[in-house]
Amino acid sequence: MIAPASERDPQHTYARWLELGTRIVFAFGVLALALYLSGLVAPLIPLRDLPSLWTLPAAELLREAHAPSGWAWLRYLRYGDYLNVAAIAAFSLLSLVCLARVIRAFLRCGERVQALLAALQVLVLLAAALGAFPGAS
Amino acid sequence: MIRVILLVAGLALAPSALAAGGDAAAWWAWPLALFTLSFLLGVLAVIAGVGGGVLFVPIVGSFFPFHLDFVRGAGLVLALAGTLAAAPTLLRSGLASLRLVLPLALAGSICSLAGALAGFALPVNVVQSALGLVILAVAVLVLITRGTDVVAIEPDAFGRLLGLNGEFNDHLQQRVQWRTRRTALGVAAFGGIGFIGGLFGLGAGWANVPALNLLMGAPLKLAVGTSGLAISIINSSAAWVYIGRGALLPAIAMPAILGVMLGSRLGAHLLHGMPSVAVRRIVIAVLAIAGARALLRGLGVWP
Repeated sequence: MIAPASERDPQHTYARWLELGTRIVFAFGVLALALYLSGLVAPLIPLRDLPSLWTLPAAELLREAHAPSGWAWLRYLRYGDYLNVAAIAAFSLLSLVCLARVIRAFLRCGERVQALLAALQVLVLLAAALGAFPGAS
Repeated sequence: MIRVILLVAGLALAPSALAAGGDAAAWWAWPLALFTLSFLLGVLAVIAGVGGGVLFVPIVGSFFPFHLDFVRGAGLVLALAGTLAAAPTLLRSGLASLRLVLPLALAGSICSLAGALAGFALPVNVVQSALGLVILAVAVLVLITRGTDVVAIEPDAFGRLLGLNGEFNDHLQQRVQWRTRRTALGVAAFGGIGFIGGLFGLGAGWANVPALNLLMGAPLKLAVGTSGLAISIINSSAAWVYIGRGALLPAIAMPAILGVMLGSRLGAHLLHGMPSVAVRRIVIAVLAIAGARALLRGLGVWP
């Protein structure tokens, strides 16, 4: 058996937000994959072309397939493959959102050091997401 | 055990047979083979107590035709997805500590970003050779490491400053109190582990757990749970490098994620009925073969 965390504990708040977010993103991911593989939403890179492209380095594949890099994939969400990239990006955003949420919860508990660490972690994840460092894309 | 090794070897070598078929092999044969292999790796990984990514990257990177960029990207997000799914339960039970993770993940995520960038800057044969060496080292680590339930330790000043202590109930309903020692060293270790994880697309639970348990003195159960939570944050930062570089190909990443996750669920159900020592030996053998293959491929000895 397990000891339940207090409802007001920032750890509990983090768990609640992460559970909800993970469920939503999983459902979106499964739907996006079904639409992509069934052909209901056409991909930017035709599925039959993949075996000749996935042997190339990522940079070469982007050039050959005229595919987007950085955040430019947001303009391609009408394609099945980039709908799946959106699902993967959503997975990568979950921790950032949950950490941002618990900063206030830590402050309310008087845990300033933990709030500062959470804020710094949010800044690192935000910088990573925005590509705000050399060689990001 | 021999049958399982033959099955893994057969699935790993199936891509060579598909490749020999040339264009006759349909595009969907590859994701299907990848899903099947990932499923089996997911089952084995849970029973052996290692992450799926550490098996996935060297095997798929060595035996499938995909470029290592896409395999590393898929390995990273499959570790991310698996740990995100498990984290809420671990947090609620107290078997993962958000307070303990915050300083470790901060160092890990910054270094993981650097590792992911280094992976794209280095020649692929160098990355492949280094991956082979790391996987061989992991096989040795899994072979020799035994977890320990250290409880009565003297906390250090840094750990006290960061409030790194807590408690949880174990399976005997006994309250286990924990605190950390050598906290600065632990933060530095997570930086190094994060770099390796970002570079090769590994989840790195194989290194996180010994760092938390043996180095920092966290009880083994807490170390396992907290390692998963740390991976869910650390891999989030490196994932953006792979997304930005176009190294996440859905036809590779999504079947791998689903395969490992479904396999892990089956593995969790089979956990009590399986001879875990035998499975652990199989995983060590698979790691040794995949590590040697990656090293030889990187060196151009076995292309």
